[in-house]
Amino acid sequence: MIEINGLTCSYDKKTILKDINLSIKNHVSILGANGSGKSTLAKTICKLTNFNGDILLDGTNTKNIDSNTMAKSICYIPAKLEIYDSFISVEEFVLQGRFPHKKGFFDYSDNDKTITKQTLEFLKISHLKEHTLSSLSSGEQQLTLIAQALTQQSKIIIFDEPTANLDPKNSKIIAQHIKGLKDYHQVILITHDLNLASYINSNIIFIKDKETTLYEDSFFTNENLQRLYGVKFESLAVKYD
Amino acid sequence: MIRFIVWFLLFAVLLISPFLGAVPLHVEDILNPTHINNAIFFDIRLPRVLFAFFAGAILSLSGLLFQTLFRNALMTPYTLGISSGAVLGAGIAIKLGLSTFVFGIAAISVFGFIGALFTVFLLIYLARFLKSSQQESLLLLGIALSLFYTSALMIVFYLGDTMQNDMLIRFTMGSLSIIGWQNPVVLGIISFLLLIILYMYRFELQLLSISESGAKLKGVDTKKVTLKLLIISSLGIGTLVSISGPIGFIGLIVPHMVAKLYPSTVDKRILKTALFGGFFLVFCDTIARILQTQSELPIGIITALIGGPFFIYLIITKASK
Repeated sequence: MIEINGLTCSYDKKTILKDINLSIKNHVSILGANGSGKSTLAKTICKLTNFNGDILLDGTNTKNIDSNTMAKSICYIPAKLEIYDSFISVEEFVLQGRFPHKKGFFDYSDNDKTITKQTLEFLKISHLKEHTLSSLSSGEQQLTLIAQALTQQSKIIIFDEPTANLDPKNSKIIAQHIKGLKDYHQVILITHDLNLASYINSNIIFIKDKETTLYEDSFFTNENLQRLYGVKFESLAVKYD
Repeated sequence: MIRFIVWFLLFAVLLISPFLGAVPLHVEDILNPTHINNAIFFDIRLPRVLFAFFAGAILSLSGLLFQTLFRNALMTPYTLGISSGAVLGAGIAIKLGLSTFVFGIAAISVFGFIGALFTVFLLIYLARFLKSSQQESLLLLGIALSLFYTSALMIVFYLGDTMQNDMLIRFTMGSLSIIGWQNPVVLGIISFLLLIILYMYRFELQLLSISESGAKLKGVDTKKVTLKLLIISSLGIGTLVSISGPIGFIGLIVPHMVAKLYPSTVDKRILKTALFGGFFLVFCDTIARILQTQSELPIGIITALIGGPFFIYLIITKASK
């Protein structure tokens, strides 16, 4: 349960989000044009950017939650992986998801390693475990990021444009995984991919003109889409199911 | 195989290093307690080799730490002006004629530490005005600070008398000429501390070496950890520089060599970097002692002669990526 009260967020003197009041109780997909503030909203929830206002996570203000507890309740998956270290392998990277559960200065436990192994098998990327992260394709990178998020075992998972760099086949694989995760996690999906959003079938938050609107049903009508995006839609092209 | 050869050669240099220098030493003289060479070996050569070893370890570990925390191959205490800050601090202490000890800590070391720490805080403060994509600007800030400190040191020179200036000039060249066991022991303790603390934070460093936001999202209190580690490494650099003067480029070269030898994540390279750095500086110091002409070549000159071209190489390979 995320409650956002009077959230305002500016970047370089430009206001991105203005006085947002939202309550996210369940799965939700966040849509909006480029630069409308979708990612910014997600990043404020994870305390990655500065903001004014209050965000409550299960009733506690995120300003009073330490980073370790944050990591146990929220996981954010970026659209693209930023990596400086070019040596890290898929297995080592996925194991890092266990960091918030790790005890003190000790090594990752056998349990952590088992969870990592099972997650890699579940996502069918065990064959990549020795590969370095920098050698992966975009699709493999996205799967690796999801694997890391799964080992983290947080209640909420935020996907930031998971299919943005993927071909149709990989998009479909990722989409199916995201849908499957709805049974175990609260899934917040940020996307431009309308097919994906309609397939995932969560409530929609649309961000326009620094403000948010919640659509609980009947979002995907041609009139709605035309009004919000300002272009004509015939029909949605790729079907995920 | 290459790894074995490299480590073997470096270790061999460490073993024969105490026997090389201006005065050739023979084993029977060394073992004779009344012979002058016994004193040369145990009070000058041996402490110096150990001093060089620990100095190399501190410089390399700090280099590895800075490169990891800033995720930039060119970031070291030396290139960011932190060494220069320590030099200025220590220089001022020399000018003021402070040779007092407080709880066994030399006043010069305290000034060196303050100089290093002040520079770290100044850089952190200034970095707030930069965007995260402007990492290179931080390097330029470091260079600007170095130039500023050098000028400030010139003022110290200008005000000093001839004897003080001679001391200062030799100090700024970087030298490992020490006598007795106090300095190696102090540096030994500090390098162990630095090694243990970096090891304790190895998984945080592994996360930070991927990306800062990533580390934060996995539960690392990035600001706190970064600050803590920077302060501890400033303590090491400040103390070292106040004894030896600035020894450049070791922190730049060694972590890269170790990464080439062992392409693995940073947590697995901490101990190796410390050892390799120790061996490598002993190796450089041995060259300095063998090459000596009228008087001994300062170590800082040797490391800069090797490190300068290496720095250029790194910038070029980085730019071509």
